[in-house]
Amino acid sequence: MELRLNEIQQQIVDSIDRIVDRAGGTAHLVKVVDESGFDRAMFDELAQAGFLGLALDLSPLDATIATERLAYHGAYVPMGATALVYPMVTGKAAAGPVALAPGDDGAIFRYGQNAKHILIDDGDEALLLDVADGDVTVVDNDRAGTPLARLAGNAKGRATSLGAGSGDKLRQWWRLAIAAEAAGTVRGALKLTARYLTDRIQFGRPLATFQTLQHRMSHIAVQSEGAYWLAMEAAARPDSPSHAAIAATRAIMAARLAFRETHQMHGAMGFTREYPLHLWSMKLPALQQELGGATGHARAVTAERWAA
Amino acid sequence: MDFDWTADDVAYRNDVRNFLAEQLPPGWNGYDKHDLPRYKKEAKAFCTALAEKGWLTQSWPKEYGGGDASPWRAAILSEELWPIGEPRGSQYMNANWIGPAIMFAGTPEQKAYHIGRMSKGDVFWCQGFSEPDAGSDLPALRTRAVRDGDEYVINGSKIWTSHVGIADYIFLLVRTDPDAPKREGISILLFPIDTPGLDIRHIDGFVGEQAFHHLIFEDVRVPVSCRLGEENRGWPIVQRALSFERIGAAHYETARLILEDAVATAQRNGRIEDPEVQTRIGEVTALIEAARMLTYKVVDLRAQGLPPTADSNVARVAQTTALQEVGMLAADLHGSASLESGNDADVRNVLAYSVAAGATEMQLDQIASRWLDLPRSK
Repeated sequence: MELRLNEIQQQIVDSIDRIVDRAGGTAHLVKVVDESGFDRAMFDELAQAGFLGLALDLSPLDATIATERLAYHGAYVPMGATALVYPMVTGKAAAGPVALAPGDDGAIFRYGQNAKHILIDDGDEALLLDVADGDVTVVDNDRAGTPLARLAGNAKGRATSLGAGSGDKLRQWWRLAIAAEAAGTVRGALKLTARYLTDRIQFGRPLATFQTLQHRMSHIAVQSEGAYWLAMEAAARPDSPSHAAIAATRAIMAARLAFRETHQMHGAMGFTREYPLHLWSMKLPALQQELGGATGHARAVTAERWAA
Repeated sequence: MDFDWTADDVAYRNDVRNFLAEQLPPGWNGYDKHDLPRYKKEAKAFCTALAEKGWLTQSWPKEYGGGDASPWRAAILSEELWPIGEPRGSQYMNANWIGPAIMFAGTPEQKAYHIGRMSKGDVFWCQGFSEPDAGSDLPALRTRAVRDGDEYVINGSKIWTSHVGIADYIFLLVRTDPDAPKREGISILLFPIDTPGLDIRHIDGFVGEQAFHHLIFEDVRVPVSCRLGEENRGWPIVQRALSFERIGAAHYETARLILEDAVATAQRNGRIEDPEVQTRIGEVTALIEAARMLTYKVVDLRAQGLPPTADSNVARVAQTTALQEVGMLAADLHGSASLESGNDADVRNVLAYSVAAGATEMQLDQIASRWLDLPRSK
């Protein structure tokens, strides 16, 4: 057991920090969300730097570290789906952005309109769709959070099956991607909120000096830190679907708390487009829906651990 | 990052399990704490045997009778001992923080006298911290120790003290300068519990065999040489010691056993079919596993030789939350059977965890100021 980042993992983190910083940081990301919710330029830079091949070239843990770090910065790229889920399910690196879709007709999912490939959870089987014109329809999200789409009526029929049992594999890695993205997003929202509470003076003192707020912040910290470590552990145990489900459960429980609490503590300022809290917070509602949300993940834990 | 146990660690865990199978009767799940002499005799025999294996104080430096073992070994030992009822009795405190505090701040004479006894496994300690008017606000303690030549004269009282019934020594916090700021007038005294003038009163607890004590000090005289560290400089030593105390116990393993037992019950009585029950089991599993990982984070920092951080507060809150949630769930799943005293799912058992070793509210304060870097409350 050795929980420090190794040299390569530290380089991954540093390199992502540089990419986000070069792009213009938080101000740039707010603009991205305002315009499309998908950061094509950042995605291309990550692809060029070799990040999409991390899971197979190095390990799923390295791809998970990258996914979490991008989410921490509030970046708008489908890193988990593209750099972690797709390679671990198909055995090859993705040629472009990947979206993950439920098999139910009409279900809404993230990044569909930006995707080159869509992996579909069709129960026992995972389906792979190489996206063609007309395969997805855009869903309005009021320019808040990640882009949303639906599969067009006949798109699923064009997808190819990845074989019996591939559905379980898809859900395992999808859950890990959810955990990593949620953990990073909650960490980012927590950091922003800590700064806000420290800077914002009310009643003649920083809001952060009120114990009622301190304790609520500390609870989020305990949950987000737990989610982070469970995601990393699950990434290091590729043969254990229960670890991925445990990580997703904890991360989405943390996300539910952080979504409500970081907004409450920001007051009205948190609802404006000019203030960046929405970069993190508005990602969470869609993320919380995936694979049945906290309930779905928790029941998957019980099924995996106790065959219930 | 590497989440796998080393081959040595795996072998060590197996050795510990074999040792426990030899030392304890099958199905052993804790001492009968109503029979104190027997409890003490059995715990001492167990600790002596553990010491002979070199495991009781294995993480201590060799020069103090330890084995320079990695903190991961102590964590593994704790994982194996806590859930079955902690056969070390209160000696886990000796290994985790009392011994290290003496190594850190003790005189050569104190080290020679206390450390050797602790590493042999034949001495029990209790901690004289809380007072009637100083619970969570521990630095407000008022028990006075006044210098009189080569002695301190102690007057005051300690309350809700655990492990007094079997203790040989007390690690006592006293006020030696009533005029200094409250954290700067505290000293530590180490002396035998049977010192004249120390009156011990039993306070009945209502959870299982829990018992507390009220200690009344009336002109208790102890030599100045009993003081640990400099006069009025005891608080930093205590703070350091408490950061070790917080995660010394592997409560997540206790929680895991409670959960496994509760799930087995739910499988027998059919409650497991209820989707709501399945959801709660999954959520509690995630809480327990998060507590485990957050504890490992603290062990990892210690293994790197880094000073204690507020990560230990984060781990502590995660541990106590997991224990309480699993306690509530287990009570639900066992149904009315959980109301009977002695039932493993007795929900009362989990209540004290968020009070002992620093109430959760104190841990949250520490996380806010030292982990989140928020400015302190006014």
